Amino acid sequence: MANMIMASSKPLIRLTSSPVPPKPRLQIPQLSLPKFSSSKLLQKSQQIISLSSSTLKSLSLFAATALSYIPPSLAEEIVEEKEKAELFDFNLTLPIMMAQFLILMFALDKIYFTPLGKFMDERDAAIKEKLSSVKDTSGEVKQLEEQAAAVMKAARAEIAAALNKMQKETQAEVEQMLEEGRKKVEAELAEALTNLERQKLETIKSLDAQAQELGREIVKKVLPVEPKTI
Amino acid sequence: MNIISCSINTLNGLYDISGVEVGQHLYWQIGSFQVHAQVLITSWVVIAILVGSAIIAVRNPQTIPTDGQNFFEYVLEFIRDVSKTQIGEEYGPWVPFIGTLFLFIFVSNWSGALLPWKIIQLPHGELAAPTNDINTTVALALLTSVAYFYAGLSKKGLGYFSKYIQPTPILLPINILEDFTKPLSLSFRLFGNILADELVVVVLVSLVPLVVPIPVMFLGLFTSGIQAIIFATLAAAYIGESMEGHH
Repeated sequence: MANMIMASSKPLIRLTSSPVPPKPRLQIPQLSLPKFSSSKLLQKSQQIISLSSSTLKSLSLFAATALSYIPPSLAEEIVEEKEKAELFDFNLTLPIMMAQFLILMFALDKIYFTPLGKFMDERDAAIKEKLSSVKDTSGEVKQLEEQAAAVMKAARAEIAAALNKMQKETQAEVEQMLEEGRKKVEAELAEALTNLERQKLETIKSLDAQAQELGREIVKKVLPVEPKTI
Repeated sequence: MNIISCSINTLNGLYDISGVEVGQHLYWQIGSFQVHAQVLITSWVVIAILVGSAIIAVRNPQTIPTDGQNFFEYVLEFIRDVSKTQIGEEYGPWVPFIGTLFLFIFVSNWSGALLPWKIIQLPHGELAAPTNDINTTVALALLTSVAYFYAGLSKKGLGYFSKYIQPTPILLPINILEDFTKPLSLSFRLFGNILADELVVVVLVSLVPLVVPIPVMFLGLFTSGIQAIIFATLAAAYIGESMEGHH
């Protein structure tokens, strides 16, 4: 495992396999490159170029021999160091992830956020409109109720007026009848009174006559001499 | 002597079984640049899940929502709510950004915890949540920085930079420093949480492969969701902060 990882480590490969300096990596500028990695690469290539080929050879030889004699514990350390370093390994993945994220954002915006959001807003608006229209009908109902109340009020007033009128009429009739009755009674009373008066007069006349008779008889009896003529 | 060698052997065996691989990547060469293939593969799966489920659920919206549409409406309401609380009334244009941040991080985290990535063997490294890699989190954090700078500059023009000397000019260095600490804290918080969570689960599974890791797994699910919400909320808060007026 350690060998494998070491084999994959970049600087070692470069030193051991190619004594000829690698071409500076400047021909591939199509992809946008994060600054740190490009500068690193440039530095590396410049360093390698600055070394003369003989020193490079000896260096590579030394590296190869050193590598072959590295004790396992040291190898382990190197592995660990390498793994730690790779935890924060920035490379082209970063801009690719940015681009992917932006593409995902536009895609989701087109198929999810905008259409569904618009749909939801429209539905909200429709529901609100329906609710307000329902409120309007409630106002209509209120108006109708008021109308009904007004009609009822008018009917009641009419009925009251009719009742009043009828009452008045009946009262007038009753009063008229009462008047007639009273007149009749009064007439009868007057007749009866005149009758009584007449009878009284007659009685008084007859009483007068009887009183004269009675007087004359008293005079005859009391006076011996019959008055010749009074 | 015998005992010691035996114990060392068992330890070695345990180490081999557990096989905790930290910071190992499957490299692809693109031109002269290298990429972490496992991160890209899992991110493609996450993107496919997101786009596919969104297409299926929102294809034919009903007035009375069905199950899938209901869920996606709930998610959209949630995202709008988060954006509105943090940004204010002008949250509308930022909903896609905040929502994609939240959904991408959330699905990434949960895919790391729920999908059986480990079944697929890679020559180097292993498939895990895309947010397990520092490149992803730094990419998202840098996009957040760009977003809040764009928000502030488009709202207030060059007057945006007056916020650097806003309470007093003495705070200028701290205010400038904030622009660096914001993406740093955002990216490292997410990266550290997800990596630590997966490591804890892997180590526990290697030690006690039965009941014990289950609560930690549930804790991991919880943490993943929280981290997604935190990232989206903080991004929205930064955008809102750079858009709000001082007068």
